[in-house]
Amino acid sequence: MSVELSFGEKNFIQGGIEQNLRADGRQRLDFRPMPIETGVIPQATGSARIRLGSTDVIVSVKAELGRPNSHHPGKGKVVIYVDCSSTVGPSFQGKKGEELSSELSTALQKCLLGGSGIDLSSLILVEGKLCWDLYIDGLILSSDGNLLDALGAAVKAALSNSLIPKVNILPDLAADEEPEVDIIDEEYTQIDTSSLPVIITLTKVGKQYIVDATLEEESQMSSAVSISLNRNGQICGLIKRGGAGLNPSVILDMISVAKHVSIRYIATLDSEISTAEASSAS
Amino acid sequence: MEFVNLQGIRLDGRRPKELRQLCAEIGVVSKADGSAAFEMGNTRVIAAVFGPRAVQNRSQKIANRALVRCEYSMAKFSTGDRVRRPKGDRRSMEISLVIRQTMEACIMTQLMPNSQIDICLQVLQADGGTRSACINAATLALADAGIPMCDIVVSCSAGYLNTTPLLDLNYIEDSGGGPDVTVGILAKMNKVTLLQMDNKLPFDTFEKVMQLAIDGCEAISKYIREVLLENTKQLEYRRGL
Repeated sequence: MSVELSFGEKNFIQGGIEQNLRADGRQRLDFRPMPIETGVIPQATGSARIRLGSTDVIVSVKAELGRPNSHHPGKGKVVIYVDCSSTVGPSFQGKKGEELSSELSTALQKCLLGGSGIDLSSLILVEGKLCWDLYIDGLILSSDGNLLDALGAAVKAALSNSLIPKVNILPDLAADEEPEVDIIDEEYTQIDTSSLPVIITLTKVGKQYIVDATLEEESQMSSAVSISLNRNGQICGLIKRGGAGLNPSVILDMISVAKHVSIRYIATLDSEISTAEASSAS
Repeated sequence: MEFVNLQGIRLDGRRPKELRQLCAEIGVVSKADGSAAFEMGNTRVIAAVFGPRAVQNRSQKIANRALVRCEYSMAKFSTGDRVRRPKGDRRSMEISLVIRQTMEACIMTQLMPNSQIDICLQVLQADGGTRSACINAATLALADAGIPMCDIVVSCSAGYLNTTPLLDLNYIEDSGGGPDVTVGILAKMNKVTLLQMDNKLPFDTFEKVMQLAIDGCEAISKYIREVLLENTKQLEYRRGL
């Protein structure tokens, strides 16, 4: 995503951030409005679409029956994969978007799955033999900065929207036999997403840091730190991007700012998700 | 398998000569120069157009007309089972090519020499007829981008199952083994620009099925025209004319 800015525009963005009034009227620690739609992909187990300004992402969750990893017989599997659609811009056609896709996929896996955000043992059906595999697929339709936070929020919304069918496991199973299952229609369990962390990216421009940077603001950043925090204020993952080095004390300060922001952010996200769920149910 | 029951009703409750519910929206991708979403029943695609702009790759520059590029991709969650194919496989390449040729036929490329137009198509849900839905979405997106076109291209498919010609096949009917005729027409000039069929069919039946597909195209073109007119009215209203 190349942004071409003139000298004056760059100055305007930097000066605005310095004075706590950004180009779109927000303060440094304000998010853009975040409308959420859930259940946008009917054939998925759960799905959600989030728009942050012009940033537009869809996340779908598909649950498939699989076999647990032999090293972790008591745990299900969760795979996160992000795809960058060519509708983001012609510079993402073909394989050119893959760099960004894999960067975001790894970042999401680190931030969301690291701190036991999803209870993997709840996905197990028969220990060592049968479990649910959750495939979480993100698709970026349009990008205006802050993709990681938007994807993190969309994953949370899609997981809360997911209904995993209940299954009947036929008893009297010999040790080496494959288990037989019956999927019960119309009976579902929900995934517990209350401990799933949220991702907050602080972008450092000049001496200040901002949340929810637009594409133009991101082009002016010296570095960015994405911090994933859960409801209790614990850090579940952290990624630093951007070239410039950061003083360790600055990083600690950024974490405390993110912690402060996360309280309000989680509350907003929760209310948006419940509104979306209510409107998709009716 | 019975695709049409004795009362003449198809699996999804339609009559043989009935289209699925159409829904179009213009301007869904704000960063693009032109964009549109097009739904045909459960098939849902998004098209974004970038350009006309300077050619990125100089060796592809054409001195007397515009270069048209097209990319078709399917979302991982677009089908019932998760798509495991990588981006840019054979099938998507073929569809990209077909759509590019169809759109090139209506864009007045000679008016924009030395420039490039990119059409990006993203399938969100695939339930048969993605090819047609993509062409319809691309037409709307090109119109939204203000790119000069000599006519509106619309596309629709028709098939032949249980000795009945069927309009606008869904996924189950498409994989039912019968022929699938995809037609693209220039609506006003009444010319066929795209014609594909993938099975054997007697000549007189083919004529019937193709005529049915053309009738479907005409219905879609009427709808697309309405959507474009409504969009233009909205733009006019916003400019205060």
